[in-house]
Amino acid sequence: MTAIARARAPRPDPFLDIDSYDPEADLMVMNLGPQHPSTHGVFRVLLYLDGEIIIKAVPYPGYLHRGVEKLCEKLTYAQITPIVDKNDYVAPMLNEQAVNMAFEKMLGVEVPPRALHMRTLLAEIQRVASHLLWLGTFAMDLGGALGGGTSVFMYCFREREAILDLFEKLTGCRFHYNTHTVGGQRHDIPAGWAAEVHRVLGAISDRIDEYEAMLSHPIFLKRTKGVGVIDAQLALELGLTGPLLRASGVDHDLRRDAPYHIYDQIKDLKVAVESDGDCLARYKVRVVELRESIRISRLLVDNVPEGPICGGRPIKQPGQFKAKAGQVYVGIETPRGELGTYLIAGGGKMGDTPYRLKIRPPSLHALAVVPYVFPGHSVSDAVAILGSLDPIMGEVDR
Amino acid sequence: MTPAEENAAREQAFRRLLRERFGVEGEADAPLPDDGVVVDRAHHVDLAKALHKAGWQLYVTCAATHFPAVPGKKPTDATTPECFEVATVLRTVGPGSHTARWRVKLAVGESLPTLVPVFVGADWQEREQFDLVGVHFEGHPDLRRLMMPEDWEGHPLRRDYAIDTPHAPWR
Repeated sequence: MTAIARARAPRPDPFLDIDSYDPEADLMVMNLGPQHPSTHGVFRVLLYLDGEIIIKAVPYPGYLHRGVEKLCEKLTYAQITPIVDKNDYVAPMLNEQAVNMAFEKMLGVEVPPRALHMRTLLAEIQRVASHLLWLGTFAMDLGGALGGGTSVFMYCFREREAILDLFEKLTGCRFHYNTHTVGGQRHDIPAGWAAEVHRVLGAISDRIDEYEAMLSHPIFLKRTKGVGVIDAQLALELGLTGPLLRASGVDHDLRRDAPYHIYDQIKDLKVAVESDGDCLARYKVRVVELRESIRISRLLVDNVPEGPICGGRPIKQPGQFKAKAGQVYVGIETPRGELGTYLIAGGGKMGDTPYRLKIRPPSLHALAVVPYVFPGHSVSDAVAILGSLDPIMGEVDR
Repeated sequence: MTPAEENAAREQAFRRLLRERFGVEGEADAPLPDDGVVVDRAHHVDLAKALHKAGWQLYVTCAATHFPAVPGKKPTDATTPECFEVATVLRTVGPGSHTARWRVKLAVGESLPTLVPVFVGADWQEREQFDLVGVHFEGHPDLRRLMMPEDWEGHPLRRDYAIDTPHAPWR
């Protein structure tokens, strides 16, 4: 079997030694990354090439490892929120929610309805911002043929900027909000904010049609259709979640299937599913999610219930929460998939800090698909596939 | 079935499976402990296979934890020996999604059989836990460090690894 034929097998074996492929083949070894714009951060893939075709891909994550989990073991429950903001820096709101939900479950803290409603609303607006950033960078990854190269990128960043302004009005910060806390929220909705949300999201909603028209381009279709197909079985075994899993034909969304916050009250939540599993399917799923999140946000912002935004005692000391020994797992649906928090509390003298906090980043599982889909594609397709996976290296490496 | 009923049925199936086939104590339908059920090391792979067959198809995560030796309260009390724990989480897909999680306790020097033949997603997760906590996964086809540099000494997420441990200069 030639090296290329082996690379094009339905499921290449990533553990196969490169010497056993085809000793006669004249393979070239190339590093994609770590400092490459299409890797969306610092991520290195070692590519074995036969001409332009990838025979084997060996990913090396870890260039951005900062030891967040170790750091969390030294901080009290109230101090961890601003640290996990830096994990998935494209959707920090969801990171804050994930750890705080685990802490609330462990500590038995009730969250008032207004705070739950605000969390759902913020998560959906954040999802719009995150998917817009993905859309822009994906169009840029595919290169200059799409509307002059960086046009879609610039347009998407303009819209995302408006959402960051919304968050700035609410929390005072543009990226690392630190607005969630154990038991609720820290910043209440300011006067006139709802009208701003309607104005911004309404404008974005209209413009998405234009971006879709820009991307309904023969070159875009050629670069994405049938490229990087992930079958449903592989996606499930690898633990792919979110848009990647839904683009492979698995109808699974934690917002509907394991509801948290107030998602159980949203009856007609539309879950986008595509069956092709290629880059185009992943694009389609995310565009539908973009519209759906805008719809839900505009629905939610009008009927935020009155009441307190933080349950329990106000946080006055960093070490005021004491947990009993125990273990919980909480998973929420972020723009990239299931963000899980596995929390082990020590209890007793170690009750005010987590004993072990394991964060399950969806992007780490997304990147694990690289050795399975890269082989058989050309190097330019590899960039398109990597872009469609939407990895955020901050949360991959933590 | 409504999603809530689906979830409850899955929970019941999970409990029965654990108690009838995997030696977990308790009545077949009694609720499982809140902090996760402890399964014997010998049952680890069989349980994952049985759950995969029964519908828990999505590999979610695994988390290894280090528990250093704890001396007794009085000098005469016995010391609790150093040990490790590996928790595994699986999930069903679709409405009423149910998470199944279990823990395996390991003594120092004991390794855990790998889940890679059942779920290929366990590959990177087990490499990460091997790298950061130092649990050895028996039969893993490619057990290398994932996050830390290859020549790193020690396992940073062990409880006795000081946060200010000096590291070799970056090359």
